[in-house]
Amino acid sequence: MSLDNPKIPEAVRAATADGTQLRYTLMEMARDMPDVITLGRGDPDLPTPPHIVEAANRAMRAGRVGLTDVQGMPPLREAIAAHLCEHNGLPVAAKNVMVTTGGQEGLFLAIQALIDPGDEILVPDPRYTSYDDAIKRAGGKMVMVPTRREEAFNLEAAAVEAAITPASKALLIVTPSNPTAGIVTEDRLRAIADVCIRHNLIVIVDEIYSKIVYAPYQHFSIGSLPGMAERTITLDAFSKAYAMTGWRCGYVAAPENVIDAMARIKAVTTGPVATVSQWAGLAAITGPQDCVSDYLRIYTQRRAVLLDGLDRMGFAYGEPRGALFVWADSSSTGMHATELSYLLLKEGRVLIFPGAAFGENWREYVRITLLEPIETLRAAVERMLPVLERYRA
Amino acid sequence: MQFPQTLSRPLAQRVAGLGVPSPIAPVAMKDAPAPAIASHVIEAAVDALARGETHYTDRPGIPELRAWVAQHLAQRYSVQVGPAEVTITCGSTEARFVALTLLAEAGSALLCPGDAARIRGAAHILGADIVDSVQDNVSLLYLSPDVYRETSVELLQQAQDRGWWIVYDLSFAQTAPPFHPAQNQKLADRVVTINSLSPELAGWRLGWMAGSAAALRLRAAKQAITICSTAVSQWAGLAYLKAKPS
Repeated sequence: MSLDNPKIPEAVRAATADGTQLRYTLMEMARDMPDVITLGRGDPDLPTPPHIVEAANRAMRAGRVGLTDVQGMPPLREAIAAHLCEHNGLPVAAKNVMVTTGGQEGLFLAIQALIDPGDEILVPDPRYTSYDDAIKRAGGKMVMVPTRREEAFNLEAAAVEAAITPASKALLIVTPSNPTAGIVTEDRLRAIADVCIRHNLIVIVDEIYSKIVYAPYQHFSIGSLPGMAERTITLDAFSKAYAMTGWRCGYVAAPENVIDAMARIKAVTTGPVATVSQWAGLAAITGPQDCVSDYLRIYTQRRAVLLDGLDRMGFAYGEPRGALFVWADSSSTGMHATELSYLLLKEGRVLIFPGAAFGENWREYVRITLLEPIETLRAAVERMLPVLERYRA
Repeated sequence: MQFPQTLSRPLAQRVAGLGVPSPIAPVAMKDAPAPAIASHVIEAAVDALARGETHYTDRPGIPELRAWVAQHLAQRYSVQVGPAEVTITCGSTEARFVALTLLAEAGSALLCPGDAARIRGAAHILGADIVDSVQDNVSLLYLSPDVYRETSVELLQQAQDRGWWIVYDLSFAQTAPPFHPAQNQKLADRVVTINSLSPELAGWRLGWMAGSAAALRLRAAKQAITICSTAVSQWAGLAYLKAKPS
């Protein structure tokens, strides 16, 4: 499979080598087209729950929007620590927590604090390529750890151990995964924790989708295991579970000296998180959690619709156990997934992301989000089917 | 709970050069409003939330705010920058960090004829020195309006001759001369202007960076750290700037 099709614009072809750039190139093309169904970006279409918006409004109208500590407002840090203790089993207090400008900044700060030039960081493949820049900036080297569709992309301890070299410093885990929607199950995490302790690895775990896990599966935090809290940096954010992407509010839990280092770096990179967003975050984490379960129910229904559509399209997939995507094998089309995604956008008016946006080895995969109402998802499937029929090899 | 030092060279040593004390002095969060923010700014933010402006914005920021910045640079300084070359950032801190670390080279020197406190952290993370006089390894000139004086003319000529990048930092400036280095067309492609909406909107974390041939790379570098700036803050900032006397 190649990108020889002359229909593919040079901008798309050129961006294929850079996953993040490829995603943004396609999003910008879609923005300029009428009537596109966007199943690309991981931005929940659902609203931020009203009680969270109301808390923000109250804070603004009371004038409680001055600058905060760079680590975040103390009551929010305390609430996050209590939440992580109760729900994730992490042995943390407020001093182990820092509020970040979304989850992505948490990863950036962790890498800046911990990775030296030449250090290797093990990264499950496929990956969220927006993290590449942070690793490259620190002079770190990514070493891919393969995951497999047959295993629902559940990370295997043996694969982690096989990738370890004397330069290995850290393991990045994203569970549930972006883009695969797989989760790393508790049994696997216990085995991986054993590997990390034996090889003295740091674990950076991105749990931003931890509240979006589909039954019967459950999220499990590796930082809760014996001997792991002191070597684990846990990243999370309000963005996905509470539909709060635009608020840019996330958090990190880590040993106190790591938080101190990350906070000092944050002071010179972005400063504190917007105060209004912190009030919103406080309302999210301390308020009623019905919104989270309600949204999960909606995503579960959407997932069923989309999987049915993928079956009709002849796309195979690993069971999506969490997150807001389906990561599907499009090889039955005979096309490079970038070509396929472009044709689906151009001729079907449906935006999905090609696998190349999530790693060099995934040119036969596509990522499709669940972030439109069911009727729109059905319409997207109906739009995609004739395009596939037209071009399928 | 402490991080085992065997996992990393000592963290304290790593961050010692940032110019940030440990522990960081806490900010006293007062119940009383400080600073007072005009009601039209607050209502603009409330309206934005009511409209559902709770999602990611465009990566470089909302178009209306970027257009305001472009227009401001044209009106105030006669500097032509398109809205597409403007990126809204999380305060000028992020703009400064992104511009300095993307444009300057590791191992080079940042020439700063004024107070270097604000760039010390970025220089440390980049692995660059800060100098206050011309040296062979300078790759970037950091200027603010407050240090502009006759000697700056010579420095700008050097920047032109040696191909340095120029970061012109308008944030926290005590003076507002009509001068701007990008008024020299031969320099314009290598000048990044940064500014912030502090101190008035400090807690909303808004700033911007604009211009230069590297504008799109700067946008991508910001995206890699924080994706976009807080949506509701951007709408509040737009209301604030539109009502502010130019």
